[in-house]
Amino acid sequence: MSDTPVNAKQRRTFLGIILGAIGAVIAGAFSWPLFRFLSPIDKGGEAEQVRVDRQQIKVGDAHFFSYQGRPAVLLQPQAGEFVALSAVCTHLGCIVKWVDDSQEFLCPCHAGRFSTAGQVLGGPPPKPLTTYSVTIDGNDILIG
Amino acid sequence: MNLQKEAMDWLDRRLGVRELLHSNLGGYLLPRNTNIWYTLGAVLMAMFGLQFLTGILLLVYYVPDTEKAFASVTMIMNEVPYGWLLRYLHVVGSNLIMVFLLLHMLSVLFMGSYKRPRELTWLSGFIILNLGFVFCLTGYLLPWSQLSFWATTVATDASGAIPFIGDYLIEFLRGGPSVGEATLGRFFALHVMGLPMAFLGLVGFHLFCVRRIGVSSPPFGEHYRPTELTQSFHHEEHPGGVPFHPNYTIKELSMVFFALAALVAITFYAPWMFIPLDALEPADPFSTPEHIKPEWYFLWAYQTLKIFPSELLGLASQGAAMGFLAMLPFLDRSPERRPSKRPIFVTLYLLGILLVVGLSIWGHYS
Ligand code: HEM
Ligand code: FES
Repeated sequence: MSDTPVNAKQRRTFLGIILGAIGAVIAGAFSWPLFRFLSPIDKGGEAEQVRVDRQQIKVGDAHFFSYQGRPAVLLQPQAGEFVALSAVCTHLGCIVKWVDDSQEFLCPCHAGRFSTAGQVLGGPPPKPLTTYSVTIDGNDILIG
Repeated sequence: MNLQKEAMDWLDRRLGVRELLHSNLGGYLLPRNTNIWYTLGAVLMAMFGLQFLTGILLLVYYVPDTEKAFASVTMIMNEVPYGWLLRYLHVVGSNLIMVFLLLHMLSVLFMGSYKRPRELTWLSGFIILNLGFVFCLTGYLLPWSQLSFWATTVATDASGAIPFIGDYLIEFLRGGPSVGEATLGRFFALHVMGLPMAFLGLVGFHLFCVRRIGVSSPPFGEHYRPTELTQSFHHEEHPGGVPFHPNYTIKELSMVFFALAALVAITFYAPWMFIPLDALEPADPFSTPEHIKPEWYFLWAYQTLKIFPSELLGLASQGAAMGFLAMLPFLDRSPERRPSKRPIFVTLYLLGILLVVGLSIWGHYS
């Protein structure tokens, strides 16, 4: 340590560095709450399983519902056989439509086609539709 | 390093930025003896900036619907991570802004810096202060609590004392016979769009005036001489002064940090100061809570309305006081700015402050 008095310019530079450092700390400390504030709020209670009344879907028909926040569809291709699929097209995310006449799905966006098992029948979709597990529980069908 | 110079050269060749920066930062000289009160403008800008930031973030979850507003604010407080922090910062920030706005006004009054040629600076600043009041009034309704609802009912009701148009004016302000969905709609639009836009324009003009006319010298010390008034435009120079940057900017930044420290201290340790119990209950148009009181910065107006025998007289005296303040530079035309040479002004100034503080305390305890 030398005894030379600190001049005004040095004091100002020192203050500037301190202020800059505090500013950086504040900005850093504030960015976490900001990120958390804007992050999706976990709804926690989002059901793992969805229960659908068996009466709601006839053989050869499709029933659309929401599963874990995304559109899904339940089918009964043959009596007693149930299939649950994601209704989100694997191409660019449009929601597929059920075509009764041909018993298949048609995506309205770029004409992707899917079978009742979710397999790609034609068009641009790269992958089959995601399938969900189905269990029969008395008069209800449990998905997931 | 070299890249920085290249970029600077590129900009300089096109926009002449070096000259611009020099004439506004290092080469822009301020009086040597500016005091701490001169930093309030920077503090206010920082606080308003923060208010814009927290306000926009609150908008992410706030729902302007009488059925949902209170629940959405409750959700911000209890469910959204750090929602309480942003809301408290916005609430405490609004109160501190009113404190700083008032201090800023009092300091320019005391130093006589509102005088010619700074009439327009004063006028725009006075309008900004009033915008601050309206910001708070409109924001106060948004959470749709008992407090919001009844404070707005009482505040809008006061305008009914104006002759002839009074009754219509109440309904116009509320968008209906009583405070309801229509009121929330218009207050919300004002609070988040109308006022911020008007505010930005006015602050721009205010700063332009300050820069164009030149900062005033503090009217203290033996070297101070009142500036000669000229007929033509004149920029007040301060030869031999200190550069705006870095000398003055550092000083301003330090004060901004003190203000932020006060903000977080209140936010963390005493946020309830500004959130009375009635703010915790959803609005009920069929039951008025007891002792409904306005925010502290409206207490003087509230008490004036109570002590005058007629509401009209009360309103008229408030209008006269505000009008007088707005027009002050056009009424008070002597060039003298030194408080020591303006005994009458200083006496009135102190009496005025005592009156407003006295009325507010009276209003608080009555
Ligand atoms: C772009 C600027 C702004 C936006 C977008 C904004 C937005 C909001 C929103 C969404 C609310 C309701 C949520 C809540 O009550 O916590 C609110 C409340 C409020 N705002 Fe602002 N605001 C802005 C600027 C300001 C300014 C400049 C002031 C004061 C000078 C202010 C004062 C208030 C007040 C007093 C409340 C009520 C607080 C409460 O009791 O919760 N706001 N604002
Ligand atoms: S999004 Fe379905 S085919 Fe393109």
